[in-house]
Amino acid sequence: MSFLQDYVYYIGAFGLVLIGLFIILSRRNLIKVIIGLSILDTGINLFLISVGYISKGTAPIFSKPGLVAEDMVDPVPQALVLTSIVIGVAVLALALALAMRLHKLHGTLDLRKIGELKW
Amino acid sequence: MVSPVLLIVIPLGLAFCVPLIGMVSKRFARFVPVVACLFNLVVSVQLLPAVLSKPIVVDLGGFGAPFSINLFVGPVGILFSLLIALAGFVVSLYALAYIDKGPTTRYHTLYLLLLVGATGVVLTGDVFNLFVFFEILCISSYVLVAYRGDKDGVESAVKYLIQGALGSALLLTGIGLLYGLFGTLNMAHIAVQAGSADPIPLFVAMALIVVGLGVEAAIFPLNAWLPDAHSSAPSSISAILSGIAIEVGLYAVVRMVFTVFGASSMLSFLMFLGVLTLLVGELCAFAQSNIKRMLAYSSIGQIGLIIFAIAIATSGSITGGFFQLVSHTLSKALLFLAAGYMIYRSGSMDISSLEGMGKRMPLTAFAFAVGAFSLVGLPPFAGFPSKLLIIRGALADGGALLALLVGLVLLGTVIEGAYFFRVIQTVFFKKGDGETARCEAPAIALVSMFVLVALIIVIGVYPSLIIGVLNSAASELLVRADYIGRVLG
Amino acid sequence: MSLELLMVVALGGSLLTYVLGRVSSRLRNGFAVLVSLALVAMVASLYGKALHVSYYEDFLGMSLVLRVSGLSWLFAMTASTLGCLSVVFSLSYMKGKERTSFYYSMLLLVNAAMLGVVLSGDLLSLFIFWEIMSWSTFLLISYNGGPALAAGMKYFVMSFVGSLAMLAGLLTVYGSFGTLEFGGVAAGMLSASPGYILAIFVLFGVAFGTKNAIWPFHAWLPPAHSEAPSPFSAILSGILIKMGVYGFLLIIFVLVGLRNFMALGADGLPLHTVLSIVGAITILFPTFMAIMQNDAKKLLAWSTVAQAGYIILGISFGTSLSVAGGVFHFVNHAVFKALLFMVVGTVEYRTKGVRDLDSLGGLIKKMPLTFAVALIGVCGLIGVPLTNGFVSKWLIYKTLILERSPFLALVALFGTWGTILYSYKFLHNIFLGQLPEKYKDLERAPMTMRLPMTVLSIVVVLFGVLPGIPLSVINSIDTSFGLKPLNVTLWGLASDTGALNTINILAAVFAGLLIVWLVLKSGGRKVSVDQADNYAAGAAIPKDKYQYSVGFYAPLTRMVAPYLKDFMDSFYMRLAGWVGGLGSGIRRIYTGYVGDYAMYIVLFLAALIFVQLTWSPW
Repeated sequence: MSFLQDYVYYIGAFGLVLIGLFIILSRRNLIKVIIGLSILDTGINLFLISVGYISKGTAPIFSKPGLVAEDMVDPVPQALVLTSIVIGVAVLALALALAMRLHKLHGTLDLRKIGELKW
Repeated sequence: MVSPVLLIVIPLGLAFCVPLIGMVSKRFARFVPVVACLFNLVVSVQLLPAVLSKPIVVDLGGFGAPFSINLFVGPVGILFSLLIALAGFVVSLYALAYIDKGPTTRYHTLYLLLLVGATGVVLTGDVFNLFVFFEILCISSYVLVAYRGDKDGVESAVKYLIQGALGSALLLTGIGLLYGLFGTLNMAHIAVQAGSADPIPLFVAMALIVVGLGVEAAIFPLNAWLPDAHSSAPSSISAILSGIAIEVGLYAVVRMVFTVFGASSMLSFLMFLGVLTLLVGELCAFAQSNIKRMLAYSSIGQIGLIIFAIAIATSGSITGGFFQLVSHTLSKALLFLAAGYMIYRSGSMDISSLEGMGKRMPLTAFAFAVGAFSLVGLPPFAGFPSKLLIIRGALADGGALLALLVGLVLLGTVIEGAYFFRVIQTVFFKKGDGETARCEAPAIALVSMFVLVALIIVIGVYPSLIIGVLNSAASELLVRADYIGRVLG
Repeated sequence: MSLELLMVVALGGSLLTYVLGRVSSRLRNGFAVLVSLALVAMVASLYGKALHVSYYEDFLGMSLVLRVSGLSWLFAMTASTLGCLSVVFSLSYMKGKERTSFYYSMLLLVNAAMLGVVLSGDLLSLFIFWEIMSWSTFLLISYNGGPALAAGMKYFVMSFVGSLAMLAGLLTVYGSFGTLEFGGVAAGMLSASPGYILAIFVLFGVAFGTKNAIWPFHAWLPPAHSEAPSPFSAILSGILIKMGVYGFLLIIFVLVGLRNFMALGADGLPLHTVLSIVGAITILFPTFMAIMQNDAKKLLAWSTVAQAGYIILGISFGTSLSVAGGVFHFVNHAVFKALLFMVVGTVEYRTKGVRDLDSLGGLIKKMPLTFAVALIGVCGLIGVPLTNGFVSKWLIYKTLILERSPFLALVALFGTWGTILYSYKFLHNIFLGQLPEKYKDLERAPMTMRLPMTVLSIVVVLFGVLPGIPLSVINSIDTSFGLKPLNVTLWGLASDTGALNTINILAAVFAGLLIVWLVLKSGGRKVSVDQADNYAAGAAIPKDKYQYSVGFYAPLTRMVAPYLKDFMDSFYMRLAGWVGGLGSGIRRIYTGYVGDYAMYIVLFLAALIFVQLTWSPW
């Protein structure tokens, strides 16, 4: 049980990553693939957070007397995740914009049918 | 002395000024990238002597090395930043004439962002910072590939984006793992502890990072996006993608493997991978009838050669690898630029449609020929000393395995020679279908091409001009302790 | 005369020719002739000197050296002379063609690169000039477009394979001896193991053999020689492919050393015997190919391959007589083969590009001088006494007899018989027989074509009557290789086993001529008949009904044709096809479906981790 408690975030992150990968690899619809990418990103973000997380830790701010650094979660992964979310949003927005354009030009979002560039 | 931070900050600032200037005058905004690249070029050249005598480490944020993000401007970094500034400058000159339709201010903004991302990647000494700059590079290149908004462009941009995002995700996971293992993101700090870490998570982290970066570096089999993206982007962007973007990806891989992980046991695997990449690239290029796709596959082949050379990991061969990198950047940029106007004038990317171009645009065709000769490695062009150095480095070892790999590399070179010379024959010696009117590229584009032609010939005849930088770059990669010592003091 | 200045003139002249061509074609032509003449003079002034200059101290840590020795002087002299004559010949041949500035500039560049190759004092400069020579040759071969493109491609790929082998070889040498200067390499080779020397020899041999077009590397030569512009075919055949001969001489006698070379190879089959056999194959098979050709230039091209076999055969024995024979045959072949290609060029020029032997004929009346020089050239090719070919073939036969090689001698003899057949076909089908109606108004060759051809034909006879002139130069080369000097006289040479004296032959020939003249004179009766009537002994035959030059040697051709498949060539073509097929196959992994691409990435990562976890190789 304690194993689950210690690693629940990792397991969740890993699960999300696998789900994301599965969607990317198996779906043909571009929108679904983009959703997969987004889930994959979320999984990774969760993973990053859990790297720095301490069970029952507090925010890394000396807001009250008596708080010691050992009780705080690591702030660095949170900063990383913040950046990574921003990047993720940018990629997501770009991907959706491209998807719209693609649909206009090709008339489909089925990636198998969008294969004029090959070999 | 100027601070290396300016190499990133000034172009970044200028990039966001482009839309503002564009509101006033679109014609004027075109010149911003030229100015920014020129600035970077000047600063890099100024920094060069100081860097060669002692690498410069800049701590951002005022804390000491492991705690804050730092820039590490060593010979490798300055070499790359010079190369980026140079290629960026030449291509932005070319783009003054070439990019005449569509949302041009956005093009110039994104173009500068791409260069900033590239410069950041090669100068930073922090793993996560590297990731961020890498994303800047990637995202702006996704957009630029689709710049024309045509069918092929959007299709390849989407494919590039999916693969690139997957690669970035793997990279980020790897970085997270590294942080989990070492509690630091500073490259030197990780490097110090890498030796004593648990090998399995360390390997997983390395595999994630190398594969993630390998997507951008176009290592086989991670390079499927490249032929599509390079062939459907505007030619100026193809030149930068081929000349800069994949080289920067390669830099990141090499930096990780050599400096951060010190994974000397991976090198023989990388050597095989390099030769495999080379052969796959050259064979695919041989079978192409589309000129830009051919050039794109040829880039894969060249990247394979560079990986092979660097993975041999003797100072001679790494010098050769870096030399090849320089000559590839110059030659491939030149090829794409020259091909760009030939395609523009003939209206098709088919090699057969370039018939008679030698007569219709003699100067452009001449520039193309110089690029091709250099890439194939014929004297007296820049590709010759680089191939010479690589093979000399590989054979100096004397092993039978390396001799075999050199044989394969030479085989790849023969194939490369065959398809490039086929194009040269088409351009110069096939009679075109009647159209004979002169239609030379505009003057500014010709200037940019002939800057590259001149560089290729000068470097080919006087390789000693750049060999000093390359030698110190090679020793920076080989001597990890120096790197660590410089950063952590 | 400094060697650097020579190279600067040669290379700069080529560049400047192109620039001047932009200004005025007349100026350019004059300049090109001037440069090539200056080069002849400069090379000539180097005779007998031994210079050694380092012109580039530090090319990636290696110093580049120019030097001149007896051997390189002979090759440089031949190259610059042929280059000059070819430029003069081009003046009218190239008139009115497109891109002439490019042509002249490349012609001079090839010439400069050849001078560079033979004047190099280290392997790296040799390689650099070798490569410049290769690509400029490629551009000139492709110049005509059409079928010339395939020919140029074949040339480039084969030559590139050769030069990359050479690159690997020279860098191995650098790795072991730390120097590429001939002297240093030769010193290092003294103590090298036979296996090592053999490997180096094979790597360099591929390069030199490809350039020299010895079997099985000959496939590029016939198409390249026949499709190139004729003045350049003369250079190609006369001197450019002989760079391979120079290379073999260099590696056997200067770098490896004769003693080492003779000891190479397996016990029963030493390397020099292999080389002789290769030379013999190169004589035999291309000779018959030449007999079967109906394209004048292709015929000459195959003949070039065959003659290269004689040269290799001569060199491979490594005695002073044989080397003299091989080197002299190189000089002679350069002279008469360049002459013959110019003859074809003249005919081509006047007939607007016809070189099909079946449709030509009877041009003797229209171009008497061209016929005369062609006759002299053909005599030299066959080796008729009092022409230069006779002397060099005499030396080679003499070697074969002295070295007790009856089979090789037989092959060489067969080769000569074949040479007579195809030479006669060449001469007859162009100049003798009926004159087709459409060539009734053909003019004779222009001055700038007659001049170089006359010069060359004079040389053919001069070297045939006074072989002592070239042989004394060759003799000094022999001595510089450490071989026993020959006893050369102006009229031939004397040795313990037999002497050659052209005075005797001269006397015999003149006596014969006198007798024939007297007989004819005393007969006294003279009837004039039409040329076409010759065939039927004066009986009238309808004109244009019989064309005696069609189907020459038909029975012989029918007999040997099934056995004369150029299977090496078809092998190379199939190989090229395979490479293309492999490329088309491999590129199918890029399926166009992005899901597959993502799968590659994930699978690659999974494979990496799996391999590490299972076998932990890293």
